Amino acid sequence: MDAFSVLLVDDEVEFLETLVKRLAKRKLQVTGVTSAEEAIGILGEKPVDIVVLDVKMPGMDGLEALRQIKSTSPDVEVIMLTGHANVEAAIQGMELGAFDYLMKPMDIDELLYKLQDAYKKKTLRKLAR
Amino acid sequence: MPRLGDVFRKIAFWKRGENHQTVDAEALRTAFKARYHSFKLLLNANNKALEIMSEMETALRGSRPFSMSFVRASCTAVGVNVFLIVKHLNELAPEKYTTLFERFREIQDQINGVLAKRAPPRGDRLVLPFDEIDKDKADLVGSKMANVGEVRNRLKLKVPSGFVVTSAGYQRFFEANDLQNEIDRRLQASEAGELDQYYALSADIQQLIMRSRVPDDLAEEIMEAYRALERETGEEEVRVSMRSSALGEDAADTSFAGQYRSELNVSPDYLIEAYKDIVASKYSLQAVAYRRSRGIMDEDISMCVGCMVMVDAVAGGVTYSRNPLNIRDDSIIINSVWGLPKSVVDGSVAPDAFIISRREPLTVIDKDIKTKDYKFVCFPDEGVCRLDLTGEGRELPSIDDAQAVELARIALQLEDYYGTPQDIEWAIDKNGQIYILQCRPLKQTEVAEKVHGGAGRDLGREHLLLEGGDTASSGVAFGPVYVLRKNSDALQFPRGAVLVAAQALPRWAPLLSLASAVVTEQGSVAGHLANVAREFSVPAIFGVAGATAALETGDEVTVDADGLRVYRGRMEHLLVAEAPRKNLMEGSPVHEVLREVIQYIVPLYLLDPDSTEFRPRNCRTMHDITRFCHEKSVQEMFSFGKEHHFSERASKQLVCDVPMQWWFINLDDGFREDVPGKFVHLDNIVSIPVLALWEGINAVPWEGPPPVDARGFMAVLLEASANPALDPAMPSHYANRNYFMISRNFCSLSSRFGFHFSTVETLVGERANENYISFQFKGGAADYHRRLRRAQFVASLLEEYGFRVEVKEDGVFARMEGFDEEFMKTRLRMLGYLLMHTRQLDMVMANDNAYHHHRSKMMQDIDSILNPNLTSVEHAAAH
Repeated sequence: MDAFSVLLVDDEVEFLETLVKRLAKRKLQVTGVTSAEEAIGILGEKPVDIVVLDVKMPGMDGLEALRQIKSTSPDVEVIMLTGHANVEAAIQGMELGAFDYLMKPMDIDELLYKLQDAYKKKTLRKLAR
Repeated sequence: MPRLGDVFRKIAFWKRGENHQTVDAEALRTAFKARYHSFKLLLNANNKALEIMSEMETALRGSRPFSMSFVRASCTAVGVNVFLIVKHLNELAPEKYTTLFERFREIQDQINGVLAKRAPPRGDRLVLPFDEIDKDKADLVGSKMANVGEVRNRLKLKVPSGFVVTSAGYQRFFEANDLQNEIDRRLQASEAGELDQYYALSADIQQLIMRSRVPDDLAEEIMEAYRALERETGEEEVRVSMRSSALGEDAADTSFAGQYRSELNVSPDYLIEAYKDIVASKYSLQAVAYRRSRGIMDEDISMCVGCMVMVDAVAGGVTYSRNPLNIRDDSIIINSVWGLPKSVVDGSVAPDAFIISRREPLTVIDKDIKTKDYKFVCFPDEGVCRLDLTGEGRELPSIDDAQAVELARIALQLEDYYGTPQDIEWAIDKNGQIYILQCRPLKQTEVAEKVHGGAGRDLGREHLLLEGGDTASSGVAFGPVYVLRKNSDALQFPRGAVLVAAQALPRWAPLLSLASAVVTEQGSVAGHLANVAREFSVPAIFGVAGATAALETGDEVTVDADGLRVYRGRMEHLLVAEAPRKNLMEGSPVHEVLREVIQYIVPLYLLDPDSTEFRPRNCRTMHDITRFCHEKSVQEMFSFGKEHHFSERASKQLVCDVPMQWWFINLDDGFREDVPGKFVHLDNIVSIPVLALWEGINAVPWEGPPPVDARGFMAVLLEASANPALDPAMPSHYANRNYFMISRNFCSLSSRFGFHFSTVETLVGERANENYISFQFKGGAADYHRRLRRAQFVASLLEEYGFRVEVKEDGVFARMEGFDEEFMKTRLRMLGYLLMHTRQLDMVMANDNAYHHHRSKMMQDIDSILNPNLTSVEHAAAH
């Protein structure tokens, strides 16, 4: 599968840095930012295939960010990530069009599969037009 | 997938044969890929959802502990995955199943309702002085401090003055620092963890709490209450003890023995720090592991902290108003030591024991005065220190008989007041004044039979390794020894091992959910570890001299805690009496929540896909939705091969020796490279499932049609004349041709061999949970009865090799999923073989002998295909 671009958004710096490193090793173009506001700024500047979004962050939270991303860049697939399982927020995220909703701690391969699946879905949707 | 519908309409149009050029292969590929991707994602979510449901069911049976974050995470994961299933089904079949979203919502709301139940609101005072506390304040101050207040204010027994930082104070502290969310997050992250992860987790959370700031209003109230103590005692900078009084710890009949910290002899400078310290001990390793193993919800526990004027004790100890180890023994038992009662409670010193008959006049009927090597006393400044005892004092009783009787009388008074046996901690100051420090209900153990060398216990003397000590927890158990010498040894503690240690330290408590038995050299049966051992029904002997030297890690031993003996090997005659291990989760709040939510998730009511009741509105649980969608998705997806015959222009014929036509269309990445022209060579095909099938197709040369008896041949002729489509002579478009639609991991094979039609659809790759094979087999030339027999014949072979098989009339539908790539390939080889060799078997199906002959011949062939290394003799032997 081709290298695609992933934007990771999580306010936990240590977690973010590790994840960026590990995914970069798996040949993805990875950018990490620590807030939803930054993420939305980046999406306005350069194309991103997939956003991995932490649900609970100071400032704009993940669900609000998801809402905005889906309205301004509907082609971007968003995977939600949470350390604090909340059923209601999870279902809301799904209804807002998240590709999937993962719980920390997750297996790096599991995340990688989800990223590949999300990217494939994005590519296929483009082709079908 | 908005445009997919268009593509399919075009394909349908083209399929009617009006214009073979309207849809190019590219559109077909795109449509296939999109559908296939949705289907794969659906299967993924399906497998995940079922996996979590099964974990939830296992948890409910309760042999392994789980916490509320497990329940929450499971419910979330089920919700997310079932939502995904519904979403992907609606992508496969747009607009066809939208009502499922509503059904999903309704079930989800019921689950949310169960999870959202909150604890009732409590009072709002952040700090309460002892004078205002009685049992009605338990919701605010925790049961331990409510008891203290009750004893002091109602029973008028001597209790030092003090105050409690309430559960409202605790909430204030947590909310001001948003601690609960952060802690929940960390607990979730470690849910699946083993003990070593808990060490880090526990340290992390405790540090988090220690770093947090006690908000000003709370800090001021604490200091204000403290200054009131100074005024009351007339002593400046009066030292205090601080103890946890957790709210919720008595839930589910658990006596949360000593899992939390206490701070003794605290000066005012350190008051706030000590408060945080005790609150943090809610997350001590013992406490975290304990809550999890007993199904106590983290958020249900509020840490109230009692602050009490320090008694500089000459002697101290614990009174049991009855024998904790024997429900039939009503003697009062007192354990006492020199100095503070700390060393009785933590099991570090073997205490003096006094046994007092409760019949008037109260008298000491037995006593056991130990050599007490040290005592704990208050430092002049702050904290406590351990003093070695030398000289004859160490041999002397720490209390006299008159004090023992007085303590016994207090115990009776408390038992009478509370109506249940009591466990009382006390201290005696230099004036001989007895102070009650705390009391709580005592849990007595039913002892099977306390026998020292009674009948049966003398068997196996030659295997005896150790003898002596005291029963800390009744029972008999077998396991490998694990000797704990240092803290870090606990990390490697194996499930089911016999815990052997020098001291019965409270810090080993988390291991008791793993240990089969406990043997220690020192420690009091009144200590925390003994309490926890009894609670977990782990047999335990304390005070066995030389245990750590005599027993070595890895030795297999039988521990007889009632006979006070340790034997080498397995002593069956003792073990038969072993009591079944309790289901510790049963009845706990977490277990209860799981039981409630699971009824909306796990039961399956939609059983029969052929029934008219098999509809979205009859889905009552998440499992029903999952089942429904899976069934429909398979129908929708596998109609692809049926609905989308492809243009022969787009397909390539395989160049091969097999005397049949094999046509390929590459849907994605099934060819090594694009090929111009009409033909493709095998070495250009990289589809994993195709190559496996192909091996099976070529494994055993076909010997031609089996010999047919005259009636069988007639049956074929009759059937063929009745149904011209079955006539092999008819130039039917697809007769005798085999069509492969392939990608690297996928293949859909429609195959027409003579009179029968079979399809294989399969996905095989490195993600085992996505792998599956579906095989359908139908038709035939012979009469219905023979076709039926053949269907059963094929079904029985498939079942033999692990397929789930359904026979509907003369059709066979077989499925297999979730195995790894190598295994799936073996099954595809087998299917390849079956495709070739079941041809026209229907003609011989009338005859039982022929049936069995063919069956065993085919089994042999299949075994040699699956295990090419076995010789044919071994194959023959295997049958």
